[in-house]
Amino acid sequence: MNPTLRLAPVLGLLLLLAACATGRPYAEAAADIPPLTPAQGRIYLYRTVVLGAAVQPPVRINDEVVGAAVPGGFFFVDRAPGEYRVSTATEVTRTLSLVLAPGQVRYVRLNIGMGFFVGHVWPELVEEAEGVREIATTRSAVK
Amino acid sequence: MWARLVLLAMLPLVLAGCPFDVSFLKTEPAVFVAQPDCGKPFILGRAETIGMGTGFTTRLRQGTRWQCIGQVHAGLVYRTADQVVTVEASNIHEAQAVVNQGRLVGFYLPVERAWAPVNPPVELMTEAPK
Repeated sequence: MNPTLRLAPVLGLLLLLAACATGRPYAEAAADIPPLTPAQGRIYLYRTVVLGAAVQPPVRINDEVVGAAVPGGFFFVDRAPGEYRVSTATEVTRTLSLVLAPGQVRYVRLNIGMGFFVGHVWPELVEEAEGVREIATTRSAVK
Repeated sequence: MWARLVLLAMLPLVLAGCPFDVSFLKTEPAVFVAQPDCGKPFILGRAETIGMGTGFTTRLRQGTRWQCIGQVHAGLVYRTADQVVTVEASNIHEAQAVVNQGRLVGFYLPVERAWAPVNPPVELMTEAPK
């Protein structure tokens, strides 16, 4: 077999890993996360799935870009209580609407599915227990 | 041949950012009137899986506690802190249950200020909190 072809899977794996979050593991980064003020709420956004690693659309909250859907990465935003729309766009835009109460922490998982040309990333509101468990496997996606 | 390839390559650019409305959730505008303790709180005695005709379902878990927080024209609006409630179509919406005479008649979508009817309404098996 051509040596270049033999290297192809290794190069592919390296590219895949390079596309993943490289920040500190959640357990380590969590120590530096400031406590939530009672007047605000917090939204954690994270992506556990590495599949479609090259697809990393920006994540918007009420049309403001707050981060990107980095595989294996998490980040959070603190916002005033209110109504929010979390959206991601690749070929199409997918939106999650949620209500944030004072002192409340919400967990939004960024899922990936098949698209026509590229994968679709869509935000899903998950239970706190599920979010806490899954986010522990991620790394900081804040650059 | 090349022209076709160029057109195909341009399609993602054209589609980029388009709302993904393959699956529609039928909603109607609703005026929500906040009214704490408007109806009796209840515990859901039996899990319910609610289809909204979108290809997705919403599962309400057995044992969840529900509190009335207000009303819309179709009924009383109940919220639970025991589970995440969303209705899903192409987009996902956080939702609250709309109950009328013991039946789940729809979901109120607080961000959209709209309600999505459940057809047919679902008889809820409820228990009074102890």
